[in-house]
This record gives sequence, structure tokens and C-alpha cells, in this order.
Amino acid sequence: MSPMTDLGLRFVRRPGPGGRAANLAALGATAVVALLVTFLIAGSLGLFHRSDRIGWRSGDKADPATAIGAIVQEDGLRVDGLPMLRVDLATLRPNELPPPPGLDHTPKPGEIFVSPALADRWSSLSKQYGVEQPTGVISDKGLSSPEELVLIRGVAPGAVGEHPQYVNSWHEDLMDSRMLGLLMAVALGITLVLFPLLSLVGQAAGVAAKRREHRLAALRLAGATRTQVLGLSAVEQAVLGVAGAVVGLVGYTALTPLIARIPLGGGRWFVSDITVNWWTVLIVLAAVPVLSVISALIGLGRVSITPLGVVRGQTRKATSALRLGLLILGPVVLGYYGMQTGLLPVLIGVGLAALGVRIIGPWAVQVIGRILANLANGPVTLLAGRRLVDDPKGAFRPVAALVLSGFVTGFMSVFMPGENEDPTYQDLRIGVVLLLGLVFLTVAASTAAGAVGTALDQAAPARALRRSGVPLSVIERSARLVAVVPVIGVGLPVVGFGAFCGLVLSGGRIVTEGASGLLVLIGQVVAGLVLVAVAGAAGAPVLRKASAN
Amino acid sequence: MSFQSPHLTQQQVVLSGHGLVKYYGDVVGLAGVDVAVRSGEALAVMGPSGNGKTTLLHVLAGILFPDQGEVWLAGQRVDQLSDAARTVLRRRRLGFVFQDNQLLAELPADENVALPLMVDGVSRRDALGRARLMLAQVGLSAEAARRPGELSGGQAQRVAIARALVGEPQAVFADEPTGALDAATGAQVIDLLVGAATHRGAAVVVVTHDNAVAARCHRVLRIVDGRVSESQGAGR
Repeated sequence: MSPMTDLGLRFVRRPGPGGRAANLAALGATAVVALLVTFLIAGSLGLFHRSDRIGWRSGDKADPATAIGAIVQEDGLRVDGLPMLRVDLATLRPNELPPPPGLDHTPKPGEIFVSPALADRWSSLSKQYGVEQPTGVISDKGLSSPEELVLIRGVAPGAVGEHPQYVNSWHEDLMDSRMLGLLMAVALGITLVLFPLLSLVGQAAGVAAKRREHRLAALRLAGATRTQVLGLSAVEQAVLGVAGAVVGLVGYTALTPLIARIPLGGGRWFVSDITVNWWTVLIVLAAVPVLSVISALIGLGRVSITPLGVVRGQTRKATSALRLGLLILGPVVLGYYGMQTGLLPVLIGVGLAALGVRIIGPWAVQVIGRILANLANGPVTLLAGRRLVDDPKGAFRPVAALVLSGFVTGFMSVFMPGENEDPTYQDLRIGVVLLLGLVFLTVAASTAAGAVGTALDQAAPARALRRSGVPLSVIERSARLVAVVPVIGVGLPVVGFGAFCGLVLSGGRIVTEGASGLLVLIGQVVAGLVLVAVAGAAGAPVLRKASAN
Repeated sequence: MSFQSPHLTQQQVVLSGHGLVKYYGDVVGLAGVDVAVRSGEALAVMGPSGNGKTTLLHVLAGILFPDQGEVWLAGQRVDQLSDAARTVLRRRRLGFVFQDNQLLAELPADENVALPLMVDGVSRRDALGRARLMLAQVGLSAEAARRPGELSGGQAQRVAIARALVGEPQAVFADEPTGALDAATGAQVIDLLVGAATHRGAAVVVVTHDNAVAARCHRVLRIVDGRVSESQGAGR
């Protein structure tokens, strides 16, 4: 083992004053990243598993002249007020092919197979279908969800109904149409969550790296090379990253039964659908530490290049008002293409608008900080304002993801469906709730990690202030203000900007139906803001302890 | 036992500790220390590392509670005050200078100096006015708008002195105030601290390892193993 690796491992074991809190915060944030990444991968795989069981119902590939069977799906039915699906199935030519998934044999005309949930309600249907008991119960292998209400009925070839779907097998490898829509939504969701996740990785790595800055800068001053310092940091971060990934995977596994209750895509999930498999474990165990090491190394570039800069506490460069110009790019693209063109220009327009928000965020934080500092008549506002001016990027970083979700929220508020029973709309509503939930969870973790990092950063001057008779409450209130001001001051206007971009895209029309979808969005934003504010208080106990006498 | 500078004999004792004992678990921090500092007097506390110098400073300043003994500041018993009352006392009647200045990096010099006043309810305008006057007295008028990162070590420590004195304290505590400075700058800083504080009638307690610093104080108290081993007059 090289001396630097050995030293890195020793630093993990004995992190020094404040280091334990920093490492715990970094580990916690990395664990949240690992949990969310696992959720996204396992959830996407779950869609495929579900589709594998029910995809045959959408089969429509065969030539009617040679097809072995025909299917008609009837999805407008209800039982006890609940939506129910019926699949009429006709065997067109004799065959030895395996029966459809979940059935012990291919239904003959007059035979009826039902899902377990429907079997419980059969008394409501027996008269309608003229049979006392169904022929059999469909096993889990043929169901979309444990609570799915589905009936598969064997019919004669001539009675299969109009415009049937023709199949050559009862196991055709097809993507169920609803699952396909969901998969596209998940892809869009991953794109939107990706940025907050990367931001959280950076924040998690940054917390621990901040604690290392001075130590590593001191090592540089003592003659360690840039490579040695970065290597040392990589070792520390990799250990934390692997530990965080393990905690995240364990956390996901523990939460799987709860996650399975999310009724996305037509009902609850089988736990086995979303249970993490071995190669997902390997991906998470590899990707999360690698990402966190990269983030830490980027964050430490300042130390490696100018060690004196960190030791002496350099003044950061001010951000420029020219960034404001970037805000017009997104709306211009959206307005130019409108809703009549393809998805790509819209995504580019939304992406540009979101990027504009991301880039002007620190500038806006700096402006707000300057106003606060100039108007302050008390120490709390003065301290908070100056801190925002001093490091607007740092203050904006934890809420950048929230700002992005605020933008998406505002944007989608123009397009939210109302109380519509169309499965696509239902999935969209649940998907939006889920997506925003994920974003807020990520942001809260990011905010908490950032708050701990800031608290550790300010421990020494805070200790001096407390010894000089400045009450802890003044220091804590100003720290809270620094966490909350970017959320309120930048986050809320961005919701409006998102709505503006949505309006530009729709040509000024509000497509939203009713108020319920909008209420869901607003409720989530409020809940998210509260969550972030609570997470921002995570630094308080650390600051209290670190600044104690 | 204590040495009295001739020009200080008429001055009142402002700060005193009697029979001070402090334990850290089984380790003895202070083992019965008596100390008194008069108005306008500068006391240097010297001794080997880990022998109780900083503990004595913290106990006298009301940062730590003594396990036994009493601390008095201008007729008021300090060690029996609540935490909140000691916080107010430190803010209004004491001043502090730390080794590495501990200024807030985000605030310009004048706001660093004004901050304790603002915490105490003084309006920003008045606090900044007094801070700039104080900065002028330590020779830093031109640097009032600069932040600590833009100041030299000596300048930053002078800002810290201005911050310690701006509230007109009755006692000023300095823990290795020249520890991070070169000898010449250190001498200027300690002269400024002792001169400005004692000129205002404040008692000054300086913890130091540096004989040159101690020589600029009126009296030296040597602490070894938590006890006063020697108290003598110094250079002033």
C-alpha cells in the first residue's frame, strides 16, 4: 500500500475535529444518492418485468392468415365501481404453444380466468358472465399488479369481436403500451432528477472535502505533489462513497415494500418486480463512489492549484449581471417552435431555460445578499447578507436543484390534467408527484449536507463570536437566513418563470383542467420548501457543538 | 505576593480571581490560583503549554466555570451568573483578542468592529460610526472597507483589537495575540493593545509564550501545573 493510500485510510478512521460530522453528512448524502439511483434503475427494470407478464395482451404482429390466436381488450368495464380489464382470446388454429403467462392452459371458448382480486369480487359478475365460478385464477406471473382486476375469457374464433389483435404466440416479446409510456416518462424524469442528483453528489463530496481543504493545503505547503494530494483525497472519498452506496442499497431494500405500494402504471407493484438485482448492486457500488470521487477532486482543484489561496481565505470573484441575458434563450426557442413541432426542440427550449436559471441563480443570490447587507440594521441580516455576497455559488448550490424543480413545477402547472380517469393522465399525475418528491428529497439531503459543511466552515469564527459574548441564537439565525433566502428569493420567482415558459410554449393558452392538478403541484412546492427549511436546520446542532467552548 | 507597579498603586482592582480550581476530568487545570488586575494594568500570563494559562483566561472571562473559587469583575461576582448573563457581560464589559484574529471573513473591517455593538442593539449607523473612529485610533482608517483576506496579519490583528475595544470594556483578554506575527509586528500590536486598553482604564490579561510580549506588560504571572509559581513586575 502506498504511503498516501495508507494516510488517506488513516484520515478516514481518525477524521479530526469536526471531521466525523462532515464524514457522516457526506455519507448520509451519498447514501441518499445511492438510494435514488437504485430506485431509478430498479423501478425502470420493474416496468420491464411488469411488461413481460402483460405485454402479450398488446400483441398485434401476426398476419391474420397465419396467426394462431386473436385478442380483443375491453378496458372500459367496471366492477364494484372500479375499472376492470377484459381480454377476449380466441385460438384460431390448433397449437401446442404454452398458454398465456399466469394461466395453466389456454382458455377454451366459455372458460374464464380471473385475477385474485377479481375472484374476490366474482359474486358481482357471476350473473353477467353466466358462470358460478371462474375456470381458474391467474397467477402472479400473468398480472400487472397484485390488485389488478382482469378477466381473460376464451371465445370462439367467430366471436372474438371487431378489429382483433392477431398473435403467433401467447408470449410475444412486446412492450405493453402503458408501460412504454411510463418508460418514456421515467426517462424524462431521470433527466430531470439527474441534475439534482449530481448536485447532491457534489454537495456530499464537498462537505467532506471542505474539511480536508486546510489539511490538504497544508500537505501541499509541506511539499506533497498535486497528484499525491488528489490521490489522498480520492482514497478518503472512495471509502465514504462505498460506505454511502452500501447504506443506500440497504435503505432501498428496506423500503422496497413501501415503494411497491406506489400505484403507478395501474396499481401497486409486486415486491419482486422492484427488488434490486446483483448487477444493479454492482452498478451502484461502482458508480456512486466514482461520481463522488470525481466531484471531490473537482472541488479540491482550488487547493491543488493554489494551496495558499485556501489557507489565506481568498476573496471570491463577483458574478456578473451579464448572466441575466441567458434567461431569454429558453423562452425564445420555446416561442419560436411552439407546441406543433417535435419533442426535441421543446426539450432543448426547456433545457436552455432551466440552464439559464441555473446560471443566473448565483448572481440573483448575490444581488439579494447585497440588498440584505445594505438594508440590515441588525447583526443577523448583516451577517447573512454578507455571507450571501461572499459566496453566492456556495449558497445557491444546495438549492439549485430545488430551483430547477420549481421551474419544472411552474412549467407543468400550465399543462396539468384534471380529474381524468384516462390511465395516461393518472400516471402523469402520480409521476409528477413522484418526480417532485424525489427532487425535494434530493434537495433536502443536499441542503442538509451543505448546512453541515457551512457550520463546520464557520466553527472557528463562531466560537470566537460566542466567547466575545455574541449569543448563539444570532449566529444560528443568520445561518438559517443564509439557507432560506436563496430558496425563497430565487426559488419562488423561478416557479413564475417556469409558468411563463410554459405559456410561451402553449401560445398563451392554459391547458390545465380544473384546480386539483394545480393544487397538487402547489402543495408539493410548499411541502418541499418546508422540508428544505427543516433540512437547512441540520447545521444548527453541528454549529452549536463545533463552536462550543 | 503580587507585585504592584508604582504608578498603578492607586488604581482599583477591576478583575480578580480567588482560589480558582478547575478540573478536566481527572486532570487539574487550575489548582487554586489567586489573581487581581487593576484598572489600566496589563498582566502577562506565562508558563509551559498545558499548564493552565488559557484555562485561567477562560475562567476569568466567564467562558468557563471554575469548580471552586470566585471571579469578580468591578464588584460583581461573575462565576455565579447564568450562561445568558455571562454572555451579556462578555459582550458589554469585556473584550477579546485571539491568536488568529478570528475576524469574520465575509465582513469588511468596519463591520467586523461594529458587529458586537449591533448585537447589543446599537443602530447600524451609530455602530459603524464608532467602529470607524476606533479603526482610526488603531491606524486603519484607510482599510475600513477591506475584508480580512485583504489585510496583512498585523493589520487584521489591529482590527481585532479595535473590535475588542469598541465597546469600552472594563477588561480585555488576549490569548497569544502575537502568536501568528513576526517579532516587529508583534511588538507593534502588543504595544497598541496594551496602550489603547490601559489608556481607557481597562484591565488587560495577555496569555503569551513570548518574553518580549510579557516585557511590554506591567506584571507577569507564571503558571506551572495549574498554580502561580511566580508573580513579578515586567518592563513597564
